[in-house]
Amino acid sequence: MNITEFKTIVIGGGPAGMQSALSASEGGDSVLIIEREEKLGGILKQCIHDGFGVIRYNEKLSGPEYAGIDMDKVKKDLNITVKTQCFVTDLYKDEKTGKFKIFASTESGIEIFVSKFLVLANGCRERTARQVQIHGSRPAGLLTAGAAQAYVNLMGALPGKNIVILGSGDVGLIMARRFTLEGAKVLGVYEAGSKPSGLMRNIHQCLHDFDIPLHLSTTVTRVFGNRRVEAVEIAKTTEGFQIVAGTEQIISCDTLVVSVGLIPENELAEKLKIKMDPKTNGPIVTEYMETSLKNCFSVGNALHVHDLVDDVSEGAEIAGRYIAGLPPLKNKKRIHEATEYEGAEVFGKEIVCTTCPNSCILMAELLDGGGVKVAGNKGGCKRGIKFAQYELTTPMRTLTSYVKTTRKSVPFASVRTEKEVPKDKLFDIMEILKTTVIKTPMKRGEVVVENVLNTGVNVILTTEVY
Amino acid sequence: MLIDIRARILYNNIMEDFNKSFNKIKEKIESLYPNFKVEPHNGGIRISGEAEDYNDILTAGNLAVDKVNSRGVINDVVLKNHEYKPMRLPEVKDNSLEGAKPDVLIIGGGIVGTAIMRELSRFNLDILLIEKEYDLATAQSSRNDGMIHAGIDLKPTSKKLHYNMRGNALYDTLSKELDVPIRRVGQYVLFTGRLQKLIYPFIKSRSRKNKTSIKFLSKEKIRAKFPSTKLNYGGIFCYKAGIVSPYLMTVRLAESAVINGAKLSLNTACLEIENNGESVVSVLTNRGRIFPKVLINASGVWSDKIAEQAGDRFFTIHPRRGTEAVLDKKAGVVTNSVIGRFAFTGKSHTKGGGIIRTIDENILLGPTATESPDREDEDTRREELQVLFKKHGEVTPLLDPRQVITYFAGTRAASYEEEFIVERSPVIKNLIQSAGIQSPGVTAAPAIAEDIAKFTLQALNLEKSAVLKDNFVANLTTPPRVNELSLEERDALIKQNPDYGIIICRCEEISKGEIIDAINSPIPCHTLDGLKRRIRTGMGRCQGGFCAPLITKIIAEQTGVSILEVEKKGGGKILFEKTK
Repeated sequence: MNITEFKTIVIGGGPAGMQSALSASEGGDSVLIIEREEKLGGILKQCIHDGFGVIRYNEKLSGPEYAGIDMDKVKKDLNITVKTQCFVTDLYKDEKTGKFKIFASTESGIEIFVSKFLVLANGCRERTARQVQIHGSRPAGLLTAGAAQAYVNLMGALPGKNIVILGSGDVGLIMARRFTLEGAKVLGVYEAGSKPSGLMRNIHQCLHDFDIPLHLSTTVTRVFGNRRVEAVEIAKTTEGFQIVAGTEQIISCDTLVVSVGLIPENELAEKLKIKMDPKTNGPIVTEYMETSLKNCFSVGNALHVHDLVDDVSEGAEIAGRYIAGLPPLKNKKRIHEATEYEGAEVFGKEIVCTTCPNSCILMAELLDGGGVKVAGNKGGCKRGIKFAQYELTTPMRTLTSYVKTTRKSVPFASVRTEKEVPKDKLFDIMEILKTTVIKTPMKRGEVVVENVLNTGVNVILTTEVY
Repeated sequence: MLIDIRARILYNNIMEDFNKSFNKIKEKIESLYPNFKVEPHNGGIRISGEAEDYNDILTAGNLAVDKVNSRGVINDVVLKNHEYKPMRLPEVKDNSLEGAKPDVLIIGGGIVGTAIMRELSRFNLDILLIEKEYDLATAQSSRNDGMIHAGIDLKPTSKKLHYNMRGNALYDTLSKELDVPIRRVGQYVLFTGRLQKLIYPFIKSRSRKNKTSIKFLSKEKIRAKFPSTKLNYGGIFCYKAGIVSPYLMTVRLAESAVINGAKLSLNTACLEIENNGESVVSVLTNRGRIFPKVLINASGVWSDKIAEQAGDRFFTIHPRRGTEAVLDKKAGVVTNSVIGRFAFTGKSHTKGGGIIRTIDENILLGPTATESPDREDEDTRREELQVLFKKHGEVTPLLDPRQVITYFAGTRAASYEEEFIVERSPVIKNLIQSAGIQSPGVTAAPAIAEDIAKFTLQALNLEKSAVLKDNFVANLTTPPRVNELSLEERDALIKQNPDYGIIICRCEEISKGEIIDAINSPIPCHTLDGLKRRIRTGMGRCQGGFCAPLITKIIAEQTGVSILEVEKKGGGKILFEKTK
């Protein structure tokens, strides 16, 4: 068994792990990234929808694209070593040397790593149906949104045809759209709370766009079916999340997808006896993301569940630069809290702007002489005006999906339209993507379908096919 | 009426007593329920009619119990306006078993059936076990807390006690031979009131009769062990209690039997049994008609139905549902053994369960006990889970509902006599029954199997001439479990086969190699739930959220089918169609 020493070891090769490694190596010190899966990228690998990177890159990238940028940097960085399919089985901090010792299972045997600094970037896991008191039977067809996402986006198969979704968090909403585009029917999204928990832009572009009903203050209480889900029972809930007796209803469906929250994965942190914050379920950290254990850092969704990957990268950068002994960078411009339109005058149509996670609620009206009257766009945001103009004339959307490849390494490759396309063309483009096959290695950003349906927009690859 | 007459003759010597007792019971039941009919049947007492309330059916059944003079209660009262759920049947239909003539046919792939199968595989016999589900141990044998019972709460004269103590003693050898880990952790039984300690001398004398060793625990000792318990009245400690994975044991018993030549047919249901009043002639299944020399009924919650078809029904199964909650391994601080509470009745079914640290180190709460008219009612209910936390919260405030990772329910095969039936039928000469097996069935199974094997040899007229196989392999060679190896062993294993280095189930740390081993084990396993029972993939805190898609792929690769064909459990496909 080899023992290899690095200055810094990062456990987890998602956006948090990659960025902290990139920053930690800036001073020229050696860094190791330990990733348990086959490829770097973490959960972004399966988040093929767009909306990532609005703050960092001022662009709406898909998950694989956002991860791809970091992966390219990691590849080029000679100070960084990457071990994939490498699973940490045990770790401790040697009191004498002050160094971390890490044991990992890999395809080539057990490996031992030693480092001065340790960054925990393990990400999070999903809360399950049972953890939110869904009773009844335990058939096939009851799964978490993340698992459903892996089946659809990575394995190219639908886990259901008539789907009920519980939970209006962003993952649930995005899966509602993904299911619909890929050919399943989403019967409804149910939310136990009285307000949706995902971003307004996702309610709008994932549910409203496809006429998927959102049922607030309603939850799923029971599953029926022995071998396969046959139906679910729903019921109204009170503000205190109690079931209102007598409001139960049975909905026939073949699948229940739950998107009911994420829990930071901190089993390794607990092994190191790091002090945890009961509110976030993550470690308590300093402004530099250092935990109660000296030289041990926590970043990304393992620290706390983040809404935006941009924030994940930023936090990881702070930790990495601190390890490298570099001063923190000036923060990028922060996004404001999303607010509802509060103008005095009510006019035109209410529109949710989906351009950025701000999800501004606009009032918009087409003017007779051309042009558009808009209110509610924060700071008079020009993108908001443009969005409103299109929304009132030809609503435009970015389409994300994937196509088949003949390459064994990537059986399904994620793609998106390079620019927005008319909303009413989405399903027609999906039909074209169904029969599109990639047969040669291609780079991220290369054109897969040129000028799709004469929209003047190309469909581009958002991952690498090799 | 041949059966009835034969039974009467067999039970001739007790007929007079039977009549006296019968008349009393009949009077009592008919005065309470004038529309119920009570009559003697097959040496037992049969009640029929219709009831509005399920409790009336149960009450009448309980009133009809006479363990001395009657063979049992045959309760045919039906619940009005209740649509009884029919037996879950396999979807497959073929002729793979048509015309088979095994020496022994066992119906039921639970721990009792498989223990019998293994016991019989020591002899040169043609053995076939049929199980209607897609896998072994899908009912009571997996919906179970996995306790090896100490037997303190069992009646000294009962068969339950007899088989429990013998079975308990057999577990150490079985554990070694089949490589199924057990832990002799003992059991704490807490008093629930101040005065209970006064009856300790009686408990002690019961323990001597039952041949199970116990010790008294003072209030102080209980407090030291469970610092913040509300039940601080003292208690007892039972040394002989232990824990095991009941489903792994069931699977390994069957694997051992299969390696020793016994045959197993899953997805095979007994649809109809042909008997001529003296013996079973044939058994019709969805895979053809089988002509066994001896039929063994080990069919759990359906055992009375099978008994009826085979021609000797003298008992009734009234399913009793139990719900259990599984807590994260982190909750293991609560106890490293088993905590129960003392109950006066001495009936195990009124205990309502305990707190158990399982062999895999999760904490298990339960089981509850609710009578249910449906035999396969395995749905959980919100109320039952709440009851578990309320009840066990009294024992320790350390239990946190947020640590629940899953819960499940199952039905116990309770007879009205609340007693095991382990016998060669006096009516049908080639029928052997192991029925009404509920708690402590897991503990008792190996001992029950010993007796059933004896009866089988008798029925085959081989009790004197049967020879043990000289090539019987007692020790099962099992695949490695990577997280139980030392670093050096693990490293060496991975160097032989890299698949053991790739961790697929991250919560339970299970490698790809172990998954492939289980898929291709002596009894091949191609379902997600089947793998769970064998190697614990998806049993951890994420409940398969991460690994289910990966395992789906591995199963497809290993078995050469499309991912669309892979099932969570029998008939339950995971995926519908390809999108591209």
